[in-house]
Amino acid sequence: MNTRSISFRLVAWYAGLLALIFLLLSVLLYLDLRRFLENDLRQSQSRRAHQIANALLVHVTQTGEPYVASQVKDWFEPEINGRFIRISRADGRPVYLSGKPKDGGFNPADVPAIASSSPPEFSQKIKLADGKTLLVVALNVKAPGAPEYVVEFGGLLDPVETMLNHLFLQLALGLPLAMIIIAGGGYLLLRRGLQPVEQITRAAERITQHNLSERLPVTQSGDELERLSVSLNRMIARLDEAFQNSKRFVADASHDLRTPLTIMRGELESLAEDARLNQELRERVASMLEEAVHLSKIVEQLFTLSRLDAGEAQTEWSRFDLSELARTTADQMSLLAEDKRIAISCHASQPLPVEGDRVRLKQVVVNLLDNAIKYTPVSGAIQLRVNGVNGHAELEVEDNGMGIPPAALPHVFERFFRVDQTRASNSESAGLGLSIVKSICTAHGAEVEVQSVVGKGSRFCVKVPLSKN
Amino acid sequence: MRILLIEDETKVADIIVRGLKAERFAVDVCHDGQSGWEAADAYNYDLVILDLMLPVLSGTEILEKIRRKNQQVPILILTARDGMADKVKNFEGGADDYLTKPFAFAELQVRIKALLRRGPVNRSSVVRVCDLEIDRLSQNVKRAGKKIELTAKEYSLLEYLATHPGRVFSRTMIIEHVWDQSFQGLTNIVDVYVRHLREKVDDASPVKLLRTVRGVGYSLNDETPT
Repeated sequence: MNTRSISFRLVAWYAGLLALIFLLLSVLLYLDLRRFLENDLRQSQSRRAHQIANALLVHVTQTGEPYVASQVKDWFEPEINGRFIRISRADGRPVYLSGKPKDGGFNPADVPAIASSSPPEFSQKIKLADGKTLLVVALNVKAPGAPEYVVEFGGLLDPVETMLNHLFLQLALGLPLAMIIIAGGGYLLLRRGLQPVEQITRAAERITQHNLSERLPVTQSGDELERLSVSLNRMIARLDEAFQNSKRFVADASHDLRTPLTIMRGELESLAEDARLNQELRERVASMLEEAVHLSKIVEQLFTLSRLDAGEAQTEWSRFDLSELARTTADQMSLLAEDKRIAISCHASQPLPVEGDRVRLKQVVVNLLDNAIKYTPVSGAIQLRVNGVNGHAELEVEDNGMGIPPAALPHVFERFFRVDQTRASNSESAGLGLSIVKSICTAHGAEVEVQSVVGKGSRFCVKVPLSKN
Repeated sequence: MRILLIEDETKVADIIVRGLKAERFAVDVCHDGQSGWEAADAYNYDLVILDLMLPVLSGTEILEKIRRKNQQVPILILTARDGMADKVKNFEGGADDYLTKPFAFAELQVRIKALLRRGPVNRSSVVRVCDLEIDRLSQNVKRAGKKIELTAKEYSLLEYLATHPGRVFSRTMIIEHVWDQSFQGLTNIVDVYVRHLREKVDDASPVKLLRTVRGVGYSLNDETPT
């Protein structure tokens, strides 16, 4: 699961927030219920303690303590109802103590006495030895002419605690379950809702400059996604038009530049052959002719690039051995290198079948070697290596020439780019050779990389996918 | 020999006509597709030079019309469009050769000669230029009776220049014939090979055969240049 996807993050946020709110509500509910139930119990105990005080202890001087004790036992039947009742004088002498409840919940004799210095009425929770809790309300009673009594009326907190425990259990189990349902359901819903985004993404990836006539699928849902795919389609249409325009422009420019160039070259050629011309004028005409030829060459290279851009490299697709191509090309170029006393050593023995336009891929090798020969000083060395690496054929051209400065390295494949003045002084090249290499590689799904250290040399590496069958 | 030129650019047409007349060809020029087709239909030319982008009737249409009527006449296509698909389409349509603008006039001349010569070609195995002998069968080269050792590429270059002694070949033409399209733009390789060839062929002899025509290219002369 992608943790950065919109559906995952949305669900995580919502589930987290909901969990927090649920948790807070549960804690509040639990605490509030506990407070309410305890208060309720305390109030009923207090009412009964007051009953004993107001109805019996007020008249204790007339009726006597044993009467009070028997009346209390009759009224409340503490053993049956599980109550704790104790009446004692303020000095601690007992008047009445309820017996052990029938269910054996606790032993009243174990309940410690409450200090008489306490305020007239208060309540206390007493932890018993067996872990149970007794809520006791103590009341100080002072009847006229009688000694001060303390009435203690209590009951177990058990039922309240059982109820609270049950609630706690329900919340503790219910909350995670609810969270799982919310998160799972939310994720599924979002996934369904975002399904069109997946489709749009996949369709958009299929569209390249070669199939701009294709469009993205539009679901008639009336939502934001429909609007997104419609506007993306409009953008693709504009791109399509722009590409068509540029192709048309290249075709038109191709015609319009070539015709005047033909005329110039033709006129200059016939002029150069004209016997009436003296030697000096002939030289000047020849110089102009050279420039016209140079200009034609640049135009030619530009059109090669435009045709590659337009995807016309696929016309002559075949399967061949890249190693063999590298060997023969290096052989054909060797004289050019020897002329500068540069040695080309070729390491390409392993047969590596690739698919593509043979003439174009050969041009890649020719341009890279030509480049290496141009920028390697006399008596330098050039290595040409072809190896199979992870489903790719890797063609490397490494020289020990002047190298390329780091700042220029990212731009060497740009059109008309030249590294520095020494290179610009070479009027033979227009700075298009490497961009042609790049374009051919792109058309073949191949990659081209360059590494270079100034003063040590450069290394160009072309990775062509190996032929599958 | 009578040649029909169908080309709408008058200046381009003028240069071609001038050059061809200097070579003693009779040339008729048409500046649009319709009149071009009418001329081709009316007279049996020895060669037709056809531009592709023409007003009224396109070059490809004229090509089809001429081929429907006359299978023999050689047709050379002249165009500014050089997409591979274009070339294939026109060769299939019956064109005999294809030349992309801008071209060197020397190249046009060589191609015209090659097309016109198609019938009775001099296929004698030995070509002689001055005291240079090239044996096409054994690929042996002799200068003044002395054998010269050449590499395969040097031999191809020399043999190509010897097909039309005295004619100037542009570097582009040489690249396309002796090397291949991949070397397009790499004209300095021609200079290097010509220099090596010169060392082997010309250095020992007072008569220099390999001639450089500045701005145009190279030629193999059968007479000492004036």
